[in-house]
Amino acid sequence: MAEFTAAVYQNEFLPDGGTDVNAIVTVTCAGAGTAGQSGGGAAGEIIIVDTSGSMGPQTMAAAKQAAQAALAEILDGTWFAVIAGSDRAMLAYPQVSSGPGLAQMDARTRGEAHAAIGRFVGSGGTAIGTWLDLAGTLFASVPQVTQKHAILLTDGENREQPGALDAAILRATGAFQCDCRGAGTDWKVEEVRRISQALLGTVDIIPEPAQMRAQFEEMMRSSMARGVSDAQLRVWAPQGGQVLFVRQVSPTVEDLTDRRVVVNALTGGYPTGAWADESRDYHVAIRVAAKAIGQEQLAARVQVALGEDVVAQALVKATWSSNSELTARIDQQVAHYTGQTELASMIQEGLAAKAAGDAATATTKLGRAVQLAAETGNGEATSKLRKVVDIDDEREGTVRLKAAVQKADEMALDTASTKTTRIKK
Amino acid sequence: MTQTPAGQTCPACAAVMPAGTLFCEDCGASLGTPAPIDPGARPVSLQGALPADGPNVIDEAAPISAATRPVPAAQATAPVPGRIPCRSCDGSVGPDGYCEQCGTKAPSERDHFREAPAPWVAGVCDRGIRHTRNEDAMALAASAVAEERAVLVVLDGVSSSLDSDVASLAGARAARDHLRSPLPQGMGTPESRLAAVTKVFADTVAVTNAAVIAATAPDSPNPASATFVVAVLERGLVSYANVGDSRAYWLPDTGPGRQLSEDDSVAQQMIAAGISRQQAETSPQAHAITKWLGRDARDLAPRVGQLEVAGPGWLMVCSDGLWNYASEPESLQEQIRVSGATEPAALALALTDFANAQGGIDNITVTLARVSDPAGGHPDDTTAPAVVPQTVPFQAAPSQAAPPQEETHG
Repeated sequence: MAEFTAAVYQNEFLPDGGTDVNAIVTVTCAGAGTAGQSGGGAAGEIIIVDTSGSMGPQTMAAAKQAAQAALAEILDGTWFAVIAGSDRAMLAYPQVSSGPGLAQMDARTRGEAHAAIGRFVGSGGTAIGTWLDLAGTLFASVPQVTQKHAILLTDGENREQPGALDAAILRATGAFQCDCRGAGTDWKVEEVRRISQALLGTVDIIPEPAQMRAQFEEMMRSSMARGVSDAQLRVWAPQGGQVLFVRQVSPTVEDLTDRRVVVNALTGGYPTGAWADESRDYHVAIRVAAKAIGQEQLAARVQVALGEDVVAQALVKATWSSNSELTARIDQQVAHYTGQTELASMIQEGLAAKAAGDAATATTKLGRAVQLAAETGNGEATSKLRKVVDIDDEREGTVRLKAAVQKADEMALDTASTKTTRIKK
Repeated sequence: MTQTPAGQTCPACAAVMPAGTLFCEDCGASLGTPAPIDPGARPVSLQGALPADGPNVIDEAAPISAATRPVPAAQATAPVPGRIPCRSCDGSVGPDGYCEQCGTKAPSERDHFREAPAPWVAGVCDRGIRHTRNEDAMALAASAVAEERAVLVVLDGVSSSLDSDVASLAGARAARDHLRSPLPQGMGTPESRLAAVTKVFADTVAVTNAAVIAATAPDSPNPASATFVVAVLERGLVSYANVGDSRAYWLPDTGPGRQLSEDDSVAQQMIAAGISRQQAETSPQAHAITKWLGRDARDLAPRVGQLEVAGPGWLMVCSDGLWNYASEPESLQEQIRVSGATEPAALALALTDFANAQGGIDNITVTLARVSDPAGGHPDDTTAPAVVPQTVPFQAAPSQAAPPQEETHG
């Protein structure tokens, strides 16, 4: 049985009249087991492969191999399907037109699916919205599947009517999780990130076909290790208090604030998807009414709930003090993740400005990103930034845009922008 | 707040809704599973719960502070054994020790406790607002028969010393237990009676002081210290003693009240020198006490006196957390009138709330005994002449070896 724990890092002391409380809550899951084995329901996996005409022969061959390798990682007993996506979504396996749209994995179905993937031929356009809709329909056709995860590979920009993809994302949100990968450099990071963020998944670039197989295996292995199908983060704030924001800040930055669902009058729930043995950090900011010096107040209860069961709780406190030595300190974890969150937005905004031809803004924002990456010790961000800018002074954030930049390096910087590092606790 | 057959009480805001209502019409909370309500609820014990109290010595008088329900803070899902009301709003205290509605921290057993050894005697000992610890302490005892016998003890731990919260409570209980027997009557004259009582109180102070010292680590660089005040009521006769600036008052329902104890403080020396009480008690040195209990105490002789009370009224023993906001007897009588309370438990709580509403700058202790008919237990003394608030000899000036101790409001 999985065990969750929650720990708080904060400076609970507020100055006279202070109202805003910041805390980092580390949630750790241990003993998660494997997908579909924990008694909470069955697991389902759908592999979605772009089979549009833009997929070159080399990419297509690599994609087939990768999808077949992912099949091999799916545990026996797991419900699964394979979708071939172009300007419409084709159910490649199981080949049914009614009834359950998922097959249960065993040696025979694995072999059949393997063969079906081998028959993929590239043709047609790219309508990712239809792929997501079919995946949702397939998952819904087998009610005992409670843990739903998809892998989506695309190599190009979506070609649907404006709004069609967002509508499909909305329909899929909460229905299943989806990790997304872009092959080559003709896809839009921003577009695919919208999918992965809403569907609680990851996004990354696969610049070379040769890297595809390893990435697919890794994604599927990670998914199979998630023995907790769905956990909800809950934040209680006192009557009259206000939740300023709730963010996941590790392993990646994801703003959860707008995903709040009402649990009760004072408590909001935020979906976190499936969990393996791992730990994630959340940054919670609460505004409470100031109390007198010496008073203590609970600013938030941060809980982890599986279904209706609260399995872990951490308390975020506020104590008003006249001791400025206590109140002036900013908690190290809060400071670190505040910097990492700003780093993510500086990278994204800097690259957007660069794409729009605004070199001055791009230089300023990417310069600040270099500075923040150095300050917060995010070596991966620094090395990716180095491929896009020449750094004159890391501490001051003085940079020049590189004259010639590989498109793939820019996209890799973009997709990795939300990845954060941890500091010692 | 009991559940009536015709209705149900909202677990979130305590509004009463008709039976069968699914959601509270006042606050919207679900009424699906109304929390069981415990009319005897009291503050939750969180940390440093009171050490086990010794057997109470007078009748069955048991302080209600002895046992509470400990709630493990870590178990978020543990069922709440009963509704513990929040002191700041209509909500309930959660198993984590904070209000489920407004988030206010529920006081720990040491931060806020109450005693009511008999219906006519009660006290409240409260952390106040500005302090992080409650270093005040009290110990009460009372006969079941009203006005037969009551003992009110208050110690105010000095917060510039370590462990004052532990020491003050140990001292208060030691003092109460020492006064388990009726006071001596002497040879029949008020003078000899006072002399005999003075001897008993001197012993009480010695016992209390030993308990305070015992609660201090032997190698403590800053040993615990505390004030001391006791009042014993025996059938209309009040005997009292004090060291430091915690006080005893007699506050009759009609007519002027009086402060029985006399502070051992710089302020009191200023008053003796002709400075107005108001000015003296608000001066920077006002709370510097000149005598105290503890390992570094230089002078343990209490001021002792007796008063035969005539009409109905209140015997009150309190710490400076209360009298900071109402020092003159008439101010206290006014607050009693304003509160409208007629029972000691309710009045002690009302006066504590008053001090907190004024800022709660110090720990607050209020203990009360209600005197309705002082002649009742005193058939042959119907005229009951007011006797002698008289003090025994003591050193008026602080010992030169011990400079005044700045009490930073324990």
